[in-house]
Amino acid sequence: MTSHNFVVFVGAFLPALVLIYGLCPQKHRGKIMLLAGYGLYFMIDGKLIVYAVLSTLSVYGISQAMAYVLWQRDTELMEADGKAEKKAIRAKTKKKLRLIMAFAILLHIGLLFVLKYSAFFGENLNRLFRVTGVGVSLPVKYFALPLGISFYTLQAVAYLFDIQREKVKADRNIGRVALFLSFFGSFIEGPISRYEDTAEDLWAGHPLEFESLRRGGVRVLIGIVKRYVIANRFNMFISTVFTSYAAFDGVMIALAMLLFTIQLYMDFSGMMDVVIGAASIFGVKLKENFRQPFFSKSITEFWTRWHISLGAFFRDYVFYPLTMSKPLKNLTTKARRLLGSHYGPLMSATLALFVVWVLNGLWHGAGFQYLAFGMFHFVLITLGSLFAPLSRKAVDHLGIVREGRLYSVFCVVRTFFLVNIGELIFRAIGFRAALSMIKRMFTQFSTTRFADGTFTALGIDYYDLLLSAVVLFVFFIASVYKERGGDPIDWLMQRRTSVRFAAYYVLIILIVVFGAYGYGYVAVDPIYANF
Amino acid sequence: MEELIEILEGIDPDHDYENSKDLIDAHKLSSLSIISLVAELEEEFDVTIPATQIVPENFNSADAMLAMIRRLEEADA
Repeated sequence: MTSHNFVVFVGAFLPALVLIYGLCPQKHRGKIMLLAGYGLYFMIDGKLIVYAVLSTLSVYGISQAMAYVLWQRDTELMEADGKAEKKAIRAKTKKKLRLIMAFAILLHIGLLFVLKYSAFFGENLNRLFRVTGVGVSLPVKYFALPLGISFYTLQAVAYLFDIQREKVKADRNIGRVALFLSFFGSFIEGPISRYEDTAEDLWAGHPLEFESLRRGGVRVLIGIVKRYVIANRFNMFISTVFTSYAAFDGVMIALAMLLFTIQLYMDFSGMMDVVIGAASIFGVKLKENFRQPFFSKSITEFWTRWHISLGAFFRDYVFYPLTMSKPLKNLTTKARRLLGSHYGPLMSATLALFVVWVLNGLWHGAGFQYLAFGMFHFVLITLGSLFAPLSRKAVDHLGIVREGRLYSVFCVVRTFFLVNIGELIFRAIGFRAALSMIKRMFTQFSTTRFADGTFTALGIDYYDLLLSAVVLFVFFIASVYKERGGDPIDWLMQRRTSVRFAAYYVLIILIVVFGAYGYGYVAVDPIYANF
Repeated sequence: MEELIEILEGIDPDHDYENSKDLIDAHKLSSLSIISLVAELEEEFDVTIPATQIVPENFNSADAMLAMIRRLEEADA
């Protein structure tokens, strides 16, 4: 989705959908939502509809095959006699389901792999062949990636996994399956939803309620402010420094890194505000994807607060299935006897974590910097677990109160710094560029470029900084309020009419007057839409 | 129940397992603790806990863990 499409989405698509949805009888509202999803696909790229229809048919077909195997098992179990026979039936079913699931993964993840990664692997294999003198050259094909294919694929695979695990039943209603997969609230940038959380609600066609409209509308506006007032404002500076990093000193690079981390958060969480707010207007409750991530005290905690639905996907469908597999379970049992209950499970957890972070890195894109981004977090989390008992002892020995405010602030600042380094690796134009930028940051510490006007020449003047600082401060206060269990939108809704309307006007004025568009600004396309 | 509380305290003594109802939701039990816990529960209660059972509802409290174990024992029978 480009920046232009985003404007059409919030400015025309969403209001039109609310109107049509409201006028339509309840029993047809699900179909309206389905048409809306396909309409949005069409607006972005007509070819996407073909992809959506074909993959929906495939997911539906596979789910029905699984349902048939499960039905067959239940029938046979009813007629079975004795424990051994029942056990054999269950084992046979498990095997069949595994086979179907393997086919599903091959098809759907395989397609994602071909479209997203074949060029990356092809190019690098060819490079390897050249270096080693192997006289082979693979043909490398570049595909246009359907928007949100990674989000779409993960949702589809999670649905099929859940049927295999008998967590959900295969839905016979193909409309409901199609809507679950093509709902605008999922395929643009997530959150990656689970079937049991959204499918029913989406298809049911809840009545429009004034309260949901009002609250959802405010959340959409907040999301647009995050994207247009903050994320866009920094874009020119960030892309210039990241592209021509060799021309900038350490201070400018550090600033670009910090602003990129803020930009990414404002862009992605702003998009989540838009999507979750828009879904709530239609009575659909999507899961939150962010929970004040910058208050995390460790990298492990950060990943339970940032892009929550992706972390949860990897936890439920990769990490636990791997650590709970027979070989790793045996490893845990043996290691625990030798090393105790902390270091014992660490071996199998580390192996599983490695797989998770390779996948997490690659999921973000086909490039070495994304793999390095994954490995960076893998190493930090593993070191964190490895040294946890030691650091706990050291902290206690030094007489530091672990729950104390000072130590908490130290942990939050340390985590924020590490997150920034991770995002620098993520945003850099390549892995080598990332290393060079980190090196410059620590070796070429000079403030001359900051003082000589380079900073303002790159699209951020002091008014921009002042405005951003004020808006970010308000978001910071709202985050502290949320962290303490409050809901800023609830708070606003309980104010007097005059206060509420003043807040609505401020949001609208911020977007219209202070949004960073036009001359001097380069609008940022939703960053996560390409993953 | 006592056996279970003992196992939990052996893994991480920092929490009140008899009364806690949010061991997972409040991030009190880490994934390492869960892996350790599953290994020990399987050994102690002679059940197999598949990955599908590793959901917050089954691990948020000692009661929930015991209920899961009973369910798995019944399914095995």
